[in-house]
Amino acid sequence: MSDGHHAHVENQVWLRAFLFAAVLVTIGVVAYGVLSVGLATGAHHAWEDALAEANGDTHDHHVIDAHLQFLTWNVAGNTILFMMIVYASFIGLAGLMNSSKPQADHGHDDHGHHGSASPIIMAVGVMLFMMGFPSFATAAEDFLYNGGGAFGEMLLSLVGLSVVMAGVANWWGEDLPFDGHAEQLSTASDDMVPFRGQHVRKVGIWIFLMSEVMVFGSFFSSYLRMRTGWCTEWALDAGRCTGETVVTASDLLRHDIATLLPGAINTFALIISSYTIVLALKTAKAKEWTPKEGLMGKLMPSQRIAVRNYLIATLMLGSMFIVLKLIEWSHLIAEGFTLQSQQGSIFYIATGAHGLHVFLGLIVMLYMVFKADLDPEVHGTGWTTDNAQGIEYFGLYWHFVDLAWVVIFPAFYLY
Amino acid sequence: MGEHATGIEKWVEENLPVDIYMVNFIVLMVLTVIEVAAVFFGESMSLGMVWAILIGVGIVKGYGIAAFFMHLAGDPRSYLWSFAFPFLFVTLMLWGIGLSNPGGITGLPAWCTPFAGGYATTP
Repeated sequence: MSDGHHAHVENQVWLRAFLFAAVLVTIGVVAYGVLSVGLATGAHHAWEDALAEANGDTHDHHVIDAHLQFLTWNVAGNTILFMMIVYASFIGLAGLMNSSKPQADHGHDDHGHHGSASPIIMAVGVMLFMMGFPSFATAAEDFLYNGGGAFGEMLLSLVGLSVVMAGVANWWGEDLPFDGHAEQLSTASDDMVPFRGQHVRKVGIWIFLMSEVMVFGSFFSSYLRMRTGWCTEWALDAGRCTGETVVTASDLLRHDIATLLPGAINTFALIISSYTIVLALKTAKAKEWTPKEGLMGKLMPSQRIAVRNYLIATLMLGSMFIVLKLIEWSHLIAEGFTLQSQQGSIFYIATGAHGLHVFLGLIVMLYMVFKADLDPEVHGTGWTTDNAQGIEYFGLYWHFVDLAWVVIFPAFYLY
Repeated sequence: MGEHATGIEKWVEENLPVDIYMVNFIVLMVLTVIEVAAVFFGESMSLGMVWAILIGVGIVKGYGIAAFFMHLAGDPRSYLWSFAFPFLFVTLMLWGIGLSNPGGITGLPAWCTPFAGGYATTP
């Protein structure tokens, strides 16, 4: 993540990661208890009662409503618990690895490039994850629909994720002491060379985003290729085709405010989260900062806490995005819109790939929050005006995820 | 943050009590409301009109995020060209829809099917 000058940071700082992990697991357990055990159990009884009143007719709208209500609470509770366990695992493993390794002798290593093994480790992890992905996706669908699922089928992908976790923990350990001085610059003797004098990390993230444009461009063009060939409700109304229509996700979502709501809320959540991370960057870069009056002043009493709280807000909005997406998916699956159809396959893979990008961004966001909670004067590191560019570079990724949603939302939800 | 304030950023700085990020945020929120409303309440509109709104709003939203939140408006042009370069391939892929989808060739707009005359599209 960084190569330049490092402040002296004690490994014990990483012990705070265990506290962070404990808080996350507690949130997950409480949410699971309230939503999955409490509310979902009540909703399940209501679903059974509705089914009995309708004499077992599963197509009765009261039964369908009760079933969807049950799915909403159950999926919300399960998802929050699952996410908090993954968050706690990442930050906890980073704490374990980085607090137990030999204390680095930092402070005088500002004179050369230090390669990191993390990109290679993470690449191997991603490869394993993708190899196991087809069976992982099927098992995940089963988990969403039946509340069960064969975890054995998820094994290869979970091993891949564990390797990614180890790479990420190493990466965070390398970045934490970086104080922002001696940031590596792109050097060239010729003025015509692009990016001359720019931060190498910034150039790197933009090159990465170039590849991401291709990934989402492939999904989008595949979808439009299929979409233009389908005889949909809209194409039928426009007189472009005759016969039986193909039902797309947007046909199931866009007609009713209740079904469109999760996607619409998610759109606003991503835009707000883009704004909060910009505010975190702006606050971290401010040379002079004074707290505001009123409630904002109470929520953001100091510059460090303001940066941390803006990042926490981003983390919460992103997490809400994942929860709402899975609730929406569970409803679609319950209505018979599954991976088995062509239109279901492209919808779940494209929006799922986007959701995965959000989730991976949230994992990195955990570290951003962890670092933001550290006081440079006490712990020797944290976000300061000198190293705030780290927030900017991560923000570029986060904004790109927002940008991708700007295309996905109208194409898959509205059209 | 961008290295240089651009025209719009300067204008906002000089004329409004809020910064460019707040303005961009409000514009994005309003445009999203328009986007959803166009589809939800636009039953009477033609498909072409709905498409025009979705594409138009999408382009403005994309510009707002890339130019101001991602700071492309103030950063050196090499970043903009790097980001724009893969869109050339995306455009080719989208264009390819017209060339590869037999059902789509006759139904798609002319700009998407420049060689349609050279292909056997009749049954």
